[in-house]
Amino acid sequence: MVTNIMTGLQNISGYIYPNEFELHWGILIVVYPYLTGLVAGAFILASLERVFNVKVLQPVYRLSLLSALAFLFVAPLPLLVHLGHPERSFEMFLTPYTSSAMAMFGFVYAWYLMVVLLLEIWFDYRKDMVIWSKEKRGLMRFVYRILPLGVTDVSEKSILFDNKIGRIITIIGIPSAFLLHGYVGFIFGSVKANPWWSSVLMPIVFLFSAIVSGIALILIIYMVTTMFRLKTMSMPCLNKLAEFLLYAIIVDLSLESLDFIQRLYESEESIKILSEMISSRLFLSLIVSQVILGSIVPMVSLVWARFGRLPDEMRRMAYFIAAILVQVGIFSTRWNVVIGGQLFSKSLRGLTVYKMQLFGLEGLLMTGFLLILPLIILYLLSKLLPPWPDSEAKVQYSQAGDHGLR
Amino acid sequence: MNVLGIPKQILALAFIFTIIIAALVVARMLFIPPSFGRYGHYRADAVDEVIAQEINYAGYEACIECHDEIYEPKEKSHHKGVSCEVCHGPAAKHVQAPDEFVPGAPRKRGYCPLCHDYNPSRPTGFPQIITELHNPGKACMTCHDPHNPLLPHTPEECSACHREIANTKRVSHHASLACVRCHTVPDEHLVHPKFALAQAPVEREFCGECHAKDADTGRDVPRIDLDTHGERYLCWDCHYPHHPEAR
Ligand code: HEC
Ligand code: HEC
Ligand code: HEC
Ligand code: HEC
Ligand code: HEC
Ligand code: HEC
Ligand code: HEC
Ligand code: HEC
Repeated sequence: MVTNIMTGLQNISGYIYPNEFELHWGILIVVYPYLTGLVAGAFILASLERVFNVKVLQPVYRLSLLSALAFLFVAPLPLLVHLGHPERSFEMFLTPYTSSAMAMFGFVYAWYLMVVLLLEIWFDYRKDMVIWSKEKRGLMRFVYRILPLGVTDVSEKSILFDNKIGRIITIIGIPSAFLLHGYVGFIFGSVKANPWWSSVLMPIVFLFSAIVSGIALILIIYMVTTMFRLKTMSMPCLNKLAEFLLYAIIVDLSLESLDFIQRLYESEESIKILSEMISSRLFLSLIVSQVILGSIVPMVSLVWARFGRLPDEMRRMAYFIAAILVQVGIFSTRWNVVIGGQLFSKSLRGLTVYKMQLFGLEGLLMTGFLLILPLIILYLLSKLLPPWPDSEAKVQYSQAGDHGLR
Repeated sequence: MNVLGIPKQILALAFIFTIIIAALVVARMLFIPPSFGRYGHYRADAVDEVIAQEINYAGYEACIECHDEIYEPKEKSHHKGVSCEVCHGPAAKHVQAPDEFVPGAPRKRGYCPLCHDYNPSRPTGFPQIITELHNPGKACMTCHDPHNPLLPHTPEECSACHREIANTKRVSHHASLACVRCHTVPDEHLVHPKFALAQAPVEREFCGECHAKDADTGRDVPRIDLDTHGERYLCWDCHYPHHPEAR
């Protein structure tokens, strides 16, 4: 115990208040904005195909929706695990407390899950489910009979209606996705006592980093799944994804630099300790991982791979590596916000350190589990509602005969 | 089947959402305590429950009536700020039925050091002992009356009450200096420290008595030029006098 404290104390520099020695928000709270960001990003990507008619993205449309759903299921778990009494969190639905930003997140989340994602997926898959309920046997048949909620009408009119509503939901969904992740940024940005967080740009920066991470995620999932299914990847789709990823990174990086320059120029009293923090505690995760590896390297390699003369093989490789780096970079972004915001003392005169646990509810293993869980859920979802372009097309041509509808 | 021209999809979903919303309404009816929100965003009954809690502490005023022979000397002693029930534990029952419930008294040696054991974070001048060295093996009460804690004789060392400063100075460059070289201490300060305050230096010339270029002190004393060295500040704005460091 004493030696623990002593080694801890050696890492502290300057003056900190006693209650700042230990960080209250650990790596789980890093995972939370990371996961919600992936949800929002994946959904916004899906909406590109639906609302803005970017047809080349069709192969990843359903995949993005399912990924958004899988990650949305897991997004609140880090918060619940972090709570001492997770069961009490449901009281915020019973007795809503409107002036608590955190409590209101429950409603934003519920809205997004129930009204946006589930509905959109339901409308999109209803026809398929009706058809599968006739093809499949056993348990799956039973499931597919329940899921359409008794609406077995697959006439052209009814499917057109599905599509129309799906579009409307997506249109509602875009601001909702903005809200979902903007809100996470808002929760941090509105902590006015914390100069590292308190910034009106926070929601917007969060949003764009969400889009970046979401696109990169779908790029990775699409490449990996097509590879395992031994199918060929749609190169135009990949190129389009890479382009959007590139644009999103550029916007994101510009916003963040803007925020940074603004802070530097304003030079409020916190600037000294913040720059000390950046150059010591956050050097690896901010300068190296977030800015260089997570933004600049992917940006350069995307430009090179997308617009240079490269064989497709190389191009895919470059996209893949860029997307992986982007994930690392965005995770570091979340880390820098959440952990960084607690590393410096409110006295603005000292820095503490974050000591991560390995085991335990808030440890590294739990974090790993929470990061893998959405992928497992996605796998199960993809068994239930195959998102692959070929699995849908086959059904349409052979059974419903309504090809050309989408 | 098309009710009023509303598509079946909408009907099915409306049904599901009605169930969910109804479930929420029912849950609200079942789980929200009736008194919730009467005064604010909390359960009003909680206030009554707190009021209904048994009172354990009577407060020192309650003891005066029967124990004035203890209260009066204690009120003038060093322990005047320490309430009876801090040491004797909750005694509300005893006040109501003095013969049935008799509070205990902390007679063991381990008790008083809760407050008096040496701890650097205690306030300046708080009387502290190193329990292991301070008359070991004997109960504190053999020498100190808990209701009027006097010292059998006046402390010889300032460290009796200023142990942290004394310990700091002991390992500093000023170790060889007696406290009274810098402080004027009335004898009364050792007995009633709060009524007879000791004096600390107020001018930078004081440190100059030893450290000025022309001071009449030993050659080992490091010298500074009073006119140019930190001239706009008191010396102890920069050097802690009990542990002066030059780097
Ligand atoms: C109504 C009168 C009355 C009041 C009020 C009262 N006491 Fe007492 N107290 C007594 C009597 C009588 C005894 C002797 C009981 C016995 O020895 O059986 C006693 C004994 C004690 C003892 C002795 C226990 C021992 O080990 O000998 C303590 C300690 C004590 N009281 C503390 C308190 C405190 C503290 C309060 C105030 C919260 C208090 N009393 C208020 C009447 C009172
Ligand atoms: C610093 C702790 C402390 C405080 C404060 C304190 N007492 Fe005591 N009290 C003791 C101890 C220790 C004894 C046991 C003394 C002994 O056995 O010699 C004791 C003994 C007693 C006794 C038993 C009779 C006796 O004299 O031995 C009574 C009665 C009593 N205290 C009442 C009070 C009342 C009333 C107050 C508040 C006015 C009070 N005490 C405040 C520590 C304290
Ligand atoms: C709740 C904390 C507390 C407990 C317990 C406590 N004391 Fe004290 N004691 C004090 C305070 C406060 C003072 C007054 C210090 C001051 O004047 O700055 C004091 C003063 C004294 C002094 C006076 C020293 C002087 O300056 O002359 C003695 C002796 C003493 N206590 C002995 C005891 C003994 C013996 C006990 C155990 C029965 C005891 N104390 C329990 C808080 C406590
Ligand atoms: C043998 C008698 C004796 C016993 C037993 C005893 N003391 Fe003392 N105590 C003294 C004397 C004598 C002094 C004054 C000594 C000095 O000059 O520091 C003193 C001083 C103190 C002081 C003032 C600080 C200081 O160092 O002078 C405190 C506080 C104190 N005692 C608390 C306690 C406590 C608590 C206990 C029980 C753990 C205890 N004493 C037991 C005799 C005793
Ligand atoms: C019986 C305990 C006791 C002893 C012995 C004692 N002091 Fe103090 N001293 C105190 C207390 C208590 C205070 C705090 C007074 C206050 O702030 O009200 C104090 C305050 C002081 C102060 C600060 C006064 C100020 O203006 O803030 C100085 C200087 C000081 N003591 C020096 C000494 C020196 C030197 C000695 C030894 C010769 C000594 N004291 C012995 C209890 C003691
Ligand atoms: C070199 C001279 C010097 C010596 C020796 C010295 N002091 Fe001081 N002391 C000072 C000065 C100067 C201050 C005023 C500091 C201030 O106002 O910030 C002071 C302040 C204090 C204070 C009140 C402020 C505080 O830090 O709590 C106490 C108590 C005190 N001294 C006790 C002692 C005791 C006890 C000793 C002996 C162990 C001692 N001093 C030795 C110079 C000295
Ligand atoms: C009685 C003479 C005397 C007085 C008064 C005195 N000092 Fe000193 N001081 C010394 C001596 C002797 C040394 C060197 C001890 C040694 O050789 O390490 C010293 C050393 C120092 C040092 C040098 C420490 C180092 O790291 O080399 C500083 C700084 C200092 N004193 C500051 C002060 C201040 C500030 C005051 C006024 C509050 C003061 N002194 C009052 C005798 C004095
Ligand atoms: C503005 C801050 C400041 C003030 C005020 C100040 N000093 Fe210093 N003092 C220093 C620093 C810094 C050093 C070490 C660097 C140096 O030697 O200049 C030092 C060094 C010293 C030394 C060691 C010199 C040596 O040769 O080792 C002594 C003795 C000393 N100071 C005494 C004093 C005295 C006496 C006063 C009041 C008259 C005083 N100081 C006021 C900052 C200050």
